[in-house]
Amino acid sequence: MGAIITLGILGILLLYLGLYKAKQALLPTTIIGLLVALGFSLSLWTKDATALYHGMVIFDRYAIAFSALLIIVTVLILLLSKEYFRSISDNIAEYYCLIVFSLMGALLVAAYHNFAMLFVGIEIMSVALYILVGIRKSDFASNEAALKYFLMGAFSTGFLLFGITLIYGAAGTFDLSGLREYVMSSTAISPLFYAGVLLMLCGLCFKVGAAPFHFWTPDVYDGAPILITTFMSTVVKVASFVGFFRLFSMVMVPVSEFWTPVLLMITIITLSIGNITALLQVSFKRMMAYSSISHAGYMLFAIVSIGPASASSILMYAVAYCFASVIAFGALILVKRKTGSEQFESFNGLAKREPLLALVLTVAMLSLAGVPLTAGFIGKFMMFNNVMGNYNIMLLIIAVINAAIAVYYYLHVVVNMYFKRGHEEPADRIMISNSYTIVLGIAAVLTIVFGVYPDVIIGLI
Amino acid sequence: MSIFYLVAFLAIIFALMTIFTKNPVHSVLYLVVTFFTLTIHYILLNAQFLAVVNFIVYMGAIMVLFLFVLMLLNLNEESEPMKSNLVKIMGAVAGMCLIATFLGAFKVITPNNEMVVGNAEIGLVKNLGKVLFNEFLLPFEISSILLLTAMIGAVLLAKKDPKKV
Repeated sequence: MGAIITLGILGILLLYLGLYKAKQALLPTTIIGLLVALGFSLSLWTKDATALYHGMVIFDRYAIAFSALLIIVTVLILLLSKEYFRSISDNIAEYYCLIVFSLMGALLVAAYHNFAMLFVGIEIMSVALYILVGIRKSDFASNEAALKYFLMGAFSTGFLLFGITLIYGAAGTFDLSGLREYVMSSTAISPLFYAGVLLMLCGLCFKVGAAPFHFWTPDVYDGAPILITTFMSTVVKVASFVGFFRLFSMVMVPVSEFWTPVLLMITIITLSIGNITALLQVSFKRMMAYSSISHAGYMLFAIVSIGPASASSILMYAVAYCFASVIAFGALILVKRKTGSEQFESFNGLAKREPLLALVLTVAMLSLAGVPLTAGFIGKFMMFNNVMGNYNIMLLIIAVINAAIAVYYYLHVVVNMYFKRGHEEPADRIMISNSYTIVLGIAAVLTIVFGVYPDVIIGLI
Repeated sequence: MSIFYLVAFLAIIFALMTIFTKNPVHSVLYLVVTFFTLTIHYILLNAQFLAVVNFIVYMGAIMVLFLFVLMLLNLNEESEPMKSNLVKIMGAVAGMCLIATFLGAFKVITPNNEMVVGNAEIGLVKNLGKVLFNEFLLPFEISSILLLTAMIGAVLLAKKDPKKV
């Protein structure tokens, strides 16, 4: 709880700093605040977890591990923001504040133990993002993205709420342990409950961007400022998954025959649509948007076949995916600042001009593609292992085919960097500030370290 | 019970009118009447707080907002984009599926649901307040952050940027 309170106070503090024009102090304050929140989170690690405040939130190891991941990724993203926000608009303090609030919502979603908290958490997370997506007020694409995200988000929240209501109508409680008792003990589960499960499934699939509820994802990710896209595709997506998984692993396992076929179809469609459309893209940013859909498909594996290793495999996958995405989008910001374009061509000849940046981006792409010795491989391996344990051979085959397709489009950019000739002279270098070097370096090193010693992550939960 | 059936009938009629009427302003006005019938439902269920909130917030504030937007946008039949038949058919099929799911779920509900009848006084303001400040204190307090976020966003998006020279 300390972490959440810290983030709430930090957001308000940032607003005051903005009021008194202390622009230099914004970033250091935010980072320090986030680190304090991280400390509060981790301090609960060894304690026994009980549901607090009348069973509203629970800080078990699952919640703490994901909270720590979300906070660390946010710190990395904010370190990249130093010059970025200044170029968009003047109201920097408000943006930091909104990001902090959004992170707070994400932490609530990670630790909820009651549907009321799930709803409040998701709403705080999303409302802050609706605004952040549209912060380039004069840019048409940004406006369109914000409106689309807002409408779709409101729609999916409606589904989620309707589902919660129906489940409440059947079980008479919002509390997760109460619901679990109802599912376990009740001899005849009311049909209302099943309808509620379906609606909640729809709402949550909207939030994680799984097909066929993915239509908002490409346009929104494409239209939003790159840094916000990074935040959305890492922190928000992972947090939604954490909430999704907690609900289904705690409550829904006894009725799994009912929802597994539905979710299985959703997973297969998500994987295929995400990958095949990503193949056709010419813009790097749009490719990342579609590939994030297919990554959502891989993460759904853990929910389709819930087992004892599911929680740690979702953590491993989320870690790999977050760090690689931060690198990819960070590199995209640098390249776009130089060439003004997000197409694959703007990466041409990058290896000649910026060998280190090209190398780091290559590591990220390999990790996203799931090549051994990177964290992405371990994540994919654990996901496949889950499915294999359930003898779900069809899903496994489709997943392997999709993984092979993904290698093609991820290596596209690597080929452009190393084997295509760019227009610029080799002397025409990109200005890379220290914060970018540090963030990209840390993320790349962690990607490889977790790829070589995955036990560091796997043993956590 | 006969009041319930009358009001429910009216609610369905006006909801259908909302969809089928061509003029958007009429559509909004029918929606207001639909909300009014829902308010009566809340009163019948002894949920007075909900009824008052529905009356003030939905019928008052939000509907006025709707009307304002409609008048600003100046929508009419000509400016409405044509939807292809395929989309219409898909929409109809999807809607019917949803209805089938709900009917299947609601079919077996007996009116004597003990959870509903169990505490008939729950909708009164006093009891609601007790629950809100006791059991649901944490979500209630954290909602303040939600409202603050929305407020910041509204100011941020609506404020005029200083002209850059």
